[in-house]
Amino acid sequence: MNERRTCVPGNAAQLPVLTQFLKEFWAAAGLPPALAPSFELSLEEIFMNVVMHGSRPGTAPRIELSLLLADGGISMTLEDDGPEFDPLSLPQPDVEASLGDRRIGGLGVFLVRQMMDVVSYHRVEARNQLRMSKRIEAPEGRTDSPSATDGRLA
Amino acid sequence: MKITVETHARTTLLTALGRLDFGAAAEFQKQLEQALAGAGTAPALLVVDCAALDYVSSAGLRAFLLAARSAQRAGIGFALCALRPAVREVFDLSGFSRIIAVHTDRATALAHAPQPDA
Repeated sequence: MNERRTCVPGNAAQLPVLTQFLKEFWAAAGLPPALAPSFELSLEEIFMNVVMHGSRPGTAPRIELSLLLADGGISMTLEDDGPEFDPLSLPQPDVEASLGDRRIGGLGVFLVRQMMDVVSYHRVEARNQLRMSKRIEAPEGRTDSPSATDGRLA
Repeated sequence: MKITVETHARTTLLTALGRLDFGAAAEFQKQLEQALAGAGTAPALLVVDCAALDYVSSAGLRAFLLAARSAQRAGIGFALCALRPAVREVFDLSGFSRIIAVHTDRATALAHAPQPDA
């Protein structure tokens, strides 16, 4: 169970469906609970960006979510068949602005960039592809690197 | 998400429980605005207790931002308290913990309540 994918219409009502899918993947793979919120948030922010900005009038794009465990990390990809739109091109919010001057636009994508190790956008075969990944840190006092252990594991 | 509102003298305490995501943000914003408007008399302080708030996204941050601005315009104190680590992280990364008062616990937040009118 290293990779799972699902596909939904680009409709806000589908957000709980995708969140549940993510939670089930998390539990089944035994992933660290502490890393879950950043993936839940990134899923919501990118999905809602496509729902709000990535549709042609009168249509909803299809959005595919895929989750992959590989190379000591978790990779999450959202792909849609809507018009070309790179959320990473949005201007960065001014997080130093005062209460009266704060703007909310671009804040979701900003949070995704802060929380993930790598975020990339590609336009592939008439689809928008947003990929996010984060390394899984080994628990304190443990390492998965064989070179750092004394002798072999039993 | 579940929201409860209690009023003690001129302090209103709003408790948010569960997930403040896109689907919950509009109702949450409405509740904040109602709490700020008060039932006839506006409170002097609105505290949002986040001890049971599991999750917040940018849609939730927007509701907090709009409420903080309304409070400022109305001369009402506005503060949050008892943020869980995952929620605290979102407030810190977004810079919101610099523009909205965040207290460690409910007692500290309420200690900032204005004295009752003589």
